[in-house]
Amino acid sequence: MPITLEKLSHTYQEGSPFQATALHDINLTIQDGELLALIGHTGSGKSTLAQHLNGLLKPTAGRVLLDGQDINQKDADRRALRFRVGLVFQYPEHQLFEETVRKDIGFGPRNMGLSEQEVEQRVHEAMDKTGLVYDEVGEKSPFELSGGQMRRVALAGVLAMKPDILVLDEPTAGLDPRARDFLLSDIARLHREGTTVVMISHSMDDVARLATRVAVLEKGRLVMEGPPGDIFTQVDRLTAMGLDVPQASKLRHELEAEGIVLPPCYLLDDLADHLAHRLKGGAADAT
Amino acid sequence: MTQPHLSLQNVTYTYEENGPEAVSDFSLDVGRGEFVALLGHNGSGKSTVAKLLNGLYTPTGGNVLVAGMDTQDSQYTWEIRKRCGMVFQNPDNQIVATVVREDVAFGLENLGVPSEDMPAIIDRALSAVNMADFADRAPHMLSGGQKQRIAIAGILAMQPEIIVLDEATAMLDPSGREEVLETALRLNREQGITVVWITHFMEEAARSSRVAVMYKGKLVMDGTPREVFSQVDLVREYRLDVPPMTRLAHMLRERGLDVRPDALTIPEMRQEVKRLAHHA
Ligand SMILES: Nc1ncnc2c1ncn2[C@@H]1O[C@H](COP(=O)(O)OP(=O)(O)OP(=O)(O)O)[C@@H](O)[C@H]1O
Ligand SMILES: Nc1ncnc2c1ncn2[C@@H]1O[C@H](COP(=O)(O)OP(=O)(O)OP(=O)(O)O)[C@@H](O)[C@H]1O
Ligand SMILES: [Mg+2]
Ligand SMILES: [Mg+2]
Repeated sequence: MPITLEKLSHTYQEGSPFQATALHDINLTIQDGELLALIGHTGSGKSTLAQHLNGLLKPTAGRVLLDGQDINQKDADRRALRFRVGLVFQYPEHQLFEETVRKDIGFGPRNMGLSEQEVEQRVHEAMDKTGLVYDEVGEKSPFELSGGQMRRVALAGVLAMKPDILVLDEPTAGLDPRARDFLLSDIARLHREGTTVVMISHSMDDVARLATRVAVLEKGRLVMEGPPGDIFTQVDRLTAMGLDVPQASKLRHELEAEGIVLPPCYLLDDLADHLAHRLKGGAADAT
Repeated sequence: MTQPHLSLQNVTYTYEENGPEAVSDFSLDVGRGEFVALLGHNGSGKSTVAKLLNGLYTPTGGNVLVAGMDTQDSQYTWEIRKRCGMVFQNPDNQIVATVVREDVAFGLENLGVPSEDMPAIIDRALSAVNMADFADRAPHMLSGGQKQRIAIAGILAMQPEIIVLDEATAMLDPSGREEVLETALRLNREQGITVVWITHFMEEAARSSRVAVMYKGKLVMDGTPREVFSQVDLVREYRLDVPPMTRLAHMLRERGLDVRPDALTIPEMRQEVKRLAHHA
């Protein structure tokens, strides 16, 4: 069930002096099973776009179609939509409200009408997936957790609903390196198992590692779109937009300026292979 | 011997009476003008340390001294807050006014800065974070990254001697992150402001002059970035990682290249590759 954004525009506070158009005429289809990364300068409209995917925000022009159905039609089943499209917010503390971590994660499944036993099972599964230890934090208030722990609770709450489409707004922000690694592997696994994922990220290395396609927003417009290999080789264009490229692309680009030209790549592993080939092969050539 | 600018002496902190120790027998001295990166896994106690540093929390055990003043002595509370500015993880909790300019002015009013001096100070602070054009906007309508920069401007306006930034760049885009880190490095270099930089980005830590690592409330490593990050296995055991270029150096060594194992940054790695290319 692809999601299609059709000529989507969004203007905040239309008609007021604070009116701000955050999205202009976006046309984009999120295909089943893809892992689409959405990147862009701060304020470029990424979070605004994300909140249209599950109907939290309504377009001021254009439509959002899920399976060809306009999700904002009067008779659309908005409740079911929230379960099918799971959104994890940029600031997880906005998403947490229950008095214990266990209840917070169980809120979605409970709302879906699952039995208490099923809810408990989903809570356990989701906590496992996000690296939260039930006996340590299950009965704690989510507001007594560290920043990274809160983020994991918010994510677990969405995973517990087993959505078909997962929308993650800066999922690794605030996570320590191991938790980040853990979460990225988990997202990759969910994706492999068939979940469609939309991931917003400022970390180009995370995007390089996971994305099957990258879309770039600039000032509310969709300006680039394609496989990571096509996007991350455009170092100068991305840099001019205030964005970055993965560390491997950056080093490769700097070496090129020094006359050391390597095949295009954006992952450290590939760069290491190319460098090894070039530097050792170079030695062989010289003799 | 000169007095440390910040001194944590056997500090312990529990959020609840008899509860677990969020910070545990933690000792660290930071000299005037140092730039210290504080690293550690989620829940290791970094934010708790940050709040102990400006007296927002007082230690359950041990002492915290800021420029020699004990945070437990209430006569210094105001003086300590003034000298030690904080930028927290979530900028929403720091924004108080409905117009950006007023938000930045908030701290100045409390300091008793004459109102005719304020506009210049505010403009300078906003320019330092590239938000001068937003002076008359409503902070609540800004994006996450924009709000974060306003919070930093609010602290800069107060011209503190010490700035503690608790994951201040976590929500910024790459250029915003670079601007803020560059701003902090410059304030440190040019004005001698002492900086405590809390982060989960190892490449940011690589650019500090000193790295302190926390694990389960305790200080477990303390040294230059090169000293700390050359201990790859230990760093990983503490649930952290080494900077990407150090990782690449290891990959290259695994592939039989004689690259220095402790390269930290892209310029360093570029030098290494050039050196090897010349020999090749
Ligand atoms: N509630 C709101 N009212 C008015 N304007 C808003 C509101 N929320 C966001 N905006 C504006 O809309 C634009 C897009 O914001 P959005 O939060 O979607 O950006 P973003 O790409 O997610 O940024 P970041 O990387 O900083 O999270 C920004 O210019 C922002 O100032
Ligand atoms: N308000 C609170 N009440 C009770 N316990 C708390 C509170 N805030 C934090 N803790 C606990 O104290 C410990 C240290 O938390 P702290 O926020 O200092 O960690 P941190 O190193 O900043 O983590 P992160 O990288 O996730 O931000 C954690 O175990 C956390 O659950
Ligand atoms: Mg956003
Ligand atoms: Mg913290």
